[in-house]
Amino acid sequence: MSHYDAIIVGAGAGGGVAAGVLAREGKRVLLLERGPHSEFAQVPRDHLRNQRMSFYGHNAGPDVDGNPRTLEDGSIVLPHERGYQNNAAMVGGGTRVFGAQAWRFMPQDFHMASTYGVPEGSSLADWPIDYEVLEPWYERAEWEIGVSGTDSAMTHLPPYKRPYPMPSLAPNTSMRTHLKGLENLGWQALPMPQFINSEDYNGRQACIRCQHCVGFACPVEAKNGTHNTTIAAALRSGKCELKSGVMVERIDCDDGGRVRGVKWIDNGGRRGSATAEIVIVSAGAVESARLLLNSATTREPQGLGNHSDQVGRHLQGHYYPMVIGLFPERMMDNQGPGGGVATCQFNHGNPDVIGGGMLADDFIVLPIISWKMYAPRDIPRWGHAAKQFMRDKYRCLGDIKGPVHEIPSPDGRVTLDPKVRDKFGIPVAHLSGTTHPETVRTASFMYERAEEWMRASGAQKVWGYRPDLRLSGGQHQAGTCRMGEDPAQSVVDPWQRVHGHDNLFVLDGSVHVTNGGFNPVLTIMATSWRAAERIVEQW
Amino acid sequence: MFSDQQLRTLHAAIDRVIPPDDFPGGVEAGVADYLLRQLGRDLAHLAQDYPRFTDALEAEAQAAHGQAFVALGDAQQYALLALVERGEVQAVWPLDPATFFAQFIEHCAEGYYSDPGNGGNRDGVAWRMIGYEVNG
Ligand SMILES: Cc1cc2nc3c(=O)[nH]c(=O)nc-3n(C[C@H](O)[C@H](O)[C@H](O)COP(=O)(O)OP(=O)(O)OC[C@H]3O[C@@H](n4cnc5c(N)ncnc54)[C@H](O)[C@@H]3O)c2cc1C
Repeated sequence: MSHYDAIIVGAGAGGGVAAGVLAREGKRVLLLERGPHSEFAQVPRDHLRNQRMSFYGHNAGPDVDGNPRTLEDGSIVLPHERGYQNNAAMVGGGTRVFGAQAWRFMPQDFHMASTYGVPEGSSLADWPIDYEVLEPWYERAEWEIGVSGTDSAMTHLPPYKRPYPMPSLAPNTSMRTHLKGLENLGWQALPMPQFINSEDYNGRQACIRCQHCVGFACPVEAKNGTHNTTIAAALRSGKCELKSGVMVERIDCDDGGRVRGVKWIDNGGRRGSATAEIVIVSAGAVESARLLLNSATTREPQGLGNHSDQVGRHLQGHYYPMVIGLFPERMMDNQGPGGGVATCQFNHGNPDVIGGGMLADDFIVLPIISWKMYAPRDIPRWGHAAKQFMRDKYRCLGDIKGPVHEIPSPDGRVTLDPKVRDKFGIPVAHLSGTTHPETVRTASFMYERAEEWMRASGAQKVWGYRPDLRLSGGQHQAGTCRMGEDPAQSVVDPWQRVHGHDNLFVLDGSVHVTNGGFNPVLTIMATSWRAAERIVEQW
Repeated sequence: MFSDQQLRTLHAAIDRVIPPDDFPGGVEAGVADYLLRQLGRDLAHLAQDYPRFTDALEAEAQAAHGQAFVALGDAQQYALLALVERGEVQAVWPLDPATFFAQFIEHCAEGYYSDPGNGGNRDGVAWRMIGYEVNG
């Protein structure tokens, strides 16, 4: 059996960063990913089957067949179906097809409980680390992964110590219109920071402003994920071995709590295993929890790190209020990625609600998504008028939406299904509970702000979707292996080592105590960077 | 799956949902091809219901006008489908008319507005019509 310095389970955002750091420091790494190592052409531009429109399937995994989860009502859901809480499964994880928004959380996001108090029934808590601790790691990720943005516009944050490595992309029509809206209101306005090359960077070219950004792979690799940065560098170093198409089934742990290695099954059903000095779990919030729960020992019959019944709890994502507007003139000029102007005016300090969130105009909307989800509900759905609407108005629609800081509940959680197994024979994740209802109030407040902005931008007609109470997770999933000092209330310590295990770590969205009012991936990268560097330092 | 007659009815219905004007209607743009492909794939569970739906449209046309659906003028076809949409049918339907029709119009839109790789939106004609450009 092969022995490595480190085994990393999951080649997504967190795992990809960890692989880069460890390999650079000369550690021998085995990086295991259940999904494929796909070329651009293997991530189809199928408008009916992608990570934005997944009614019939999707393009970034996991495979629709053989990877079910179960819900509280007893139903079985497939990866592309509502309720599954999917992100992606391939080398790069979500970053292979993400929208590339590169947000730092705000200082207040790390102190939610002490800022707002803890509503009854919620598990709102402060992080054990704060913005100051993460700041250098945000900066590191911004430079090494590659972010374009305008640091001077980020007035909701303490001043940046180092600017972004690339300037913001030039604004398109939608951005210019919505910028005017923000100016009319006197609200903060900023160009959204993006993991997108606005100029040649790190040996890859600038964005060509195509119309298939979010939900798809980039045709020119101008979108920076872990697949083309940290993982690529790790592979080049010769120190990192990547095995794709392997599903890790179990972490092996001895009676003393020392982790020995992992066992996996590949897509052909062949079993494999390897040992290592340390194991890093980076499988995403739902699957990381599932793997720990599936790795029970006689010492920890409830699952590794689960002595306090915390693994899998506090599952969070983001509620997304969305407002659509019909404009008298064209908003969509085919200049991708589309979205680009944002405001953080309402992330905190709102009357009578807990937290808030960032709002932004969104990416270019695929025609079929526009017709299914954006068209006003009071127009005919067929016949001449329907066709005429798309013909005249597809380009005149705008949207504003944003991630609302969720108030977590311990009952929103991942457990193991006692009966249902995946195609490998591994017990699947069972999802139950909801986010705390306070989140609905904050989301409603944010919906109204989005409406105000849309009107101020000049929309003639405004409509949209207000979120209802539900379980959250999905593409922004987080929270299931909380970071904390107290082993009774968390799964990992502030350096992301699993309490009670010297050589087991979690480096992904799972460790987020709360998930900010921002897309989470830059924070996932920053925490992972910090933890991985510490692992190397303490080796 | 479809007899010739059923297929003709289907085509007529598709062209009422997405009618031709100075841009192609649903059939010319490949919506029927999209649908047939999907009935062997993601919509396989509807493979039997679709011929039943076209038969029911036929029966409806006979009940209301004593003529084949395809023999009706565009306006009559349109009016008849509008009644089906509301569930106001005269013939005996083996499936719920309003529910099935609601699905049908979604399938038509999927064929028309999604990528040509799915069998419809021939040469990207729907995208040209609405001004969605693909470069890069
Ligand atoms: C379409 C889309 C758009 C997005 N846009 C943005 C955005 O603009 N900004 C932003 O901040 N975030 C965005 N996200 C979310 C972002 O991608 C995630 O927050 C991030 O990828 C999560 O990182 P992670 O390390 O926690 O997990 P992931 O990136 O999901 O990585 C986990 C990896 O582990 C693998 N894995 C799981 N279980 C196993 C196992 N047992 N064995 C082997 N491998 C396993 C998975 O296949 C996966 O590749 C988007 C996501 C999607 C899908």
